[in-house]
Amino acid sequence: MKKLRKNILRAAVFLSALLILLMVYGWIYVSKQRSRVLNASANDVIATRKESVRPGDIYDTNGILLASSDRSGARTYQEDEQRRRAVAHVLGDTRGGVKNGVDSFMAWYLYGFEFSVIDDITNLFTAGMPKGDDVHLTIDSSLCTYISTFFPKGKSGAVVVLDYKTGATLAEMSFPDFDPLTVNYSGSASERAVFINNAVQMLKAPGSTFKIITAAAALENTAGIDTWNYLCEGYMTADGKAVTCSGTNLSTGKISAHGALTLETAFSKSCNSAFAELALNMGDSKLKETAEKFGFNDHFLFSDMVVEDSVYPSRNRTPFEIAFTGAGQSALLTTPMHMCMVAAAVANNGVMMEPKLLKEAVSQKGSTRARMSPAVYRTVMTEQIAAVLKGYMRTTVQTGTGTAAAVPGHRICGKTGSAEMDGQENTDAWFVGFIDEEDFSYAVCVVIRDAGGGGTYAAPVAKKVFTYLTENCKKEK
Amino acid sequence: MSIQQKKNRKTRRGARGLLTAVSLFGFVSFMLLFIRTGESRSLILAFAVPLVEYIAAHILGRFFGADILLVSLVNFLCSLGMIVLYRIDPALGMRQPVYYAAGTAGMVACIIAVRMIRRWPVFIVIMMGLSLVLLALPLAAGREINGAKAWILIGGISFQPSEIVKVFLVLCVSYMLSRRQRVLSIVYAAMCILLLALQRDMGAALLFYFTVLVLIYVSTGSLVLTLAGLAAGVAAAYIGYTRFPYIQSRVAMWQDPWQDEYGKGYQIVMGLIAMVNGGLWGTGLGSGNMTAIPEARNDYIFAIIMNEFGMVFAALVIIVYVLIVVRGAMIARRSTSAMHGHLAIGSVCMLAIQTFVIIGGVIKLIPLTGVTLPFISSGGTSMVSAMCLIGLVQGVEARNRDVLDEDEEMAEIDERGART
Repeated sequence: MKKLRKNILRAAVFLSALLILLMVYGWIYVSKQRSRVLNASANDVIATRKESVRPGDIYDTNGILLASSDRSGARTYQEDEQRRRAVAHVLGDTRGGVKNGVDSFMAWYLYGFEFSVIDDITNLFTAGMPKGDDVHLTIDSSLCTYISTFFPKGKSGAVVVLDYKTGATLAEMSFPDFDPLTVNYSGSASERAVFINNAVQMLKAPGSTFKIITAAAALENTAGIDTWNYLCEGYMTADGKAVTCSGTNLSTGKISAHGALTLETAFSKSCNSAFAELALNMGDSKLKETAEKFGFNDHFLFSDMVVEDSVYPSRNRTPFEIAFTGAGQSALLTTPMHMCMVAAAVANNGVMMEPKLLKEAVSQKGSTRARMSPAVYRTVMTEQIAAVLKGYMRTTVQTGTGTAAAVPGHRICGKTGSAEMDGQENTDAWFVGFIDEEDFSYAVCVVIRDAGGGGTYAAPVAKKVFTYLTENCKKEK
Repeated sequence: MSIQQKKNRKTRRGARGLLTAVSLFGFVSFMLLFIRTGESRSLILAFAVPLVEYIAAHILGRFFGADILLVSLVNFLCSLGMIVLYRIDPALGMRQPVYYAAGTAGMVACIIAVRMIRRWPVFIVIMMGLSLVLLALPLAAGREINGAKAWILIGGISFQPSEIVKVFLVLCVSYMLSRRQRVLSIVYAAMCILLLALQRDMGAALLFYFTVLVLIYVSTGSLVLTLAGLAAGVAAAYIGYTRFPYIQSRVAMWQDPWQDEYGKGYQIVMGLIAMVNGGLWGTGLGSGNMTAIPEARNDYIFAIIMNEFGMVFAALVIIVYVLIVVRGAMIARRSTSAMHGHLAIGSVCMLAIQTFVIIGGVIKLIPLTGVTLPFISSGGTSMVSAMCLIGLVQGVEARNRDVLDEDEEMAEIDERGART
């Protein structure tokens, strides 16, 4: 009986702990995911709130006022049109054109959901609409404005800049941009496409930038990868279908071969055949495993932003499709934000940080409601593999396909990509890279749709971004 | 007067205070609903519900040896259920007191049974047979609701046999384990769980499984055996996961309900919205707009509570369940026989796991499985079975007191004998 009593006590402790876990989890869930829940399209609480609270101000990382509100509760934007356009997507709008922009995703603060009971009571005795909390973003609006001056006119695409040590988002830009003051809400579907935030909502094949992941998988899984050799003949065949290297066109008989390669030169020259071969050698499951470690097929539930989930295909996996995946094509889908995180993980010794957007939320009385704290998304590879990849990406910018991104005097690393799209004349030009320096721990992703080769079109844009960062954004110690 | 009796008196005084507070809560809430809606029925309930509950508690305490503290806690949850159900739909709110009365009758029956029955084997055999027959019935002549074939119709009333079998299961397994008939009890429990799985009533299967597992631990104290049981359960769950698409979709919706916000993930998303919109202090009784959530009156009633009463109050409700567990464990530890110890902890275990499974599902801690929230959700069978489980605990408590009184009488006689 004595033993029974002891066991009963233990069982009761276990059951109580189980029930208390409910409270703890509920609390954590609400504090982490409330933005997502408030913004669910089935939730009308923000719309109701807008009738009684005017939104707080939005500032960039340097304290530049990006948006405010007037006495009637309507949003006002800052005067410089170029700057207004440059941050239009990340800010979002009050009418829900852009999904999950700051204006709606940070409504928790902006529309005063964090008001304390005392706030609510004082507001009762104050004339006019109470104003929600101010939000300071990690966004550098000057950088964004600068980027918008040279991003190819008329092209669609995205630019993302992250601090790879903290995950702070300096730029989350989508092109074509729009002016929140004049944009047409009642336009046709194609006119409304301007509201799509390509940086986090555009799901496309990443092209050769995916070779970072294929290479990571090969370094982990392929025996003797250090001494691996490959002779590129301009194409390789799997299942009777050809994966071709850039420049090769089998229908015209034109062959452009890379010749004898190691893993490093295959990477820096972006040889499709070599990476197709690597993918076939290690098999679909190994490559998928690594891709999933990097965040493919995961449900991103970040606290500050909504990023569409990247997809590693699981259906119709013929040898050709597997080989094609190794080179970054097939049915792979990802966003510029996620690929920027991939480059950032290489730069940050294999640790992928969660992208953050909120630097600080401050009440109208000046008390801090929330402050950014860097969070690790995952450790996606070992330090050793990250170091090897860093070297490969450095070589790519020094002597490979990414030379156009090089900035003299700085250690720029990167990978180009040219993603083939059905029904599109040119390839999507991709560049992901980073500055491998303590003072400038930034990762960049540039995507220009329907433009051509990544080395020719995206890399020069990235170069200008890198140059600006090294000149203006030295990190304070 | 002995120390034990003094202690009892102190607890009773505390419990009476709690009982008054619970009555006041019911009165104020129904008055609030009356002010908001102007319906006279809520005015009647404002007086009737606290009064009936108060009287029921006193009768249970005085004539049936029930623990007043436990009764008060249960009364609180029942009043909350009636209030929220009335808020969702007044017709539901009017029906719930009837179920409360039926539940109380069930509780009394269980108290009497546990207190009086001295020769269990006959009853155990009957209950074992009956539980298997009852669980097989819906498979033969059941009605399908929400994908589970767990209901049968008797005389125009649909009822869920698994709710009644819960009580039998706790009784039978407690008896067998206390008699060290482990294999037999595991075989019996496994058969029940299998029948539930065949009905696709995963929620109930989960409850049965965990309750039996906890009882096995309590009985044997063997971590190895418990972990082996856990491993078997995980293996069964995995097989179920790979075999049945509807389990896979439940798990997928648990991982990310946002991928199908208006489809399969709708209920989960709405529950989360209810929770977040409610905030710490709630939108206020009658001020929320989440009553259209599917199954708001059954599985999802906790979402409405979080929405209108707020997270602080919702945490309080959970603490009430914790207190029921604690009180049940205290009674179990005081029990006079192994069987009664098993019975008391098994009953509160069943209720606690049920609470965990449904609230955990609503707040997205675990995949959602449809079970009711004990004492609060609408529905007669659910209420009766939860009250019966509490009745088992109360029966054990009544027996504890009987034995204590006998002992004291003996001691008094001894004392007198020593004096003379």
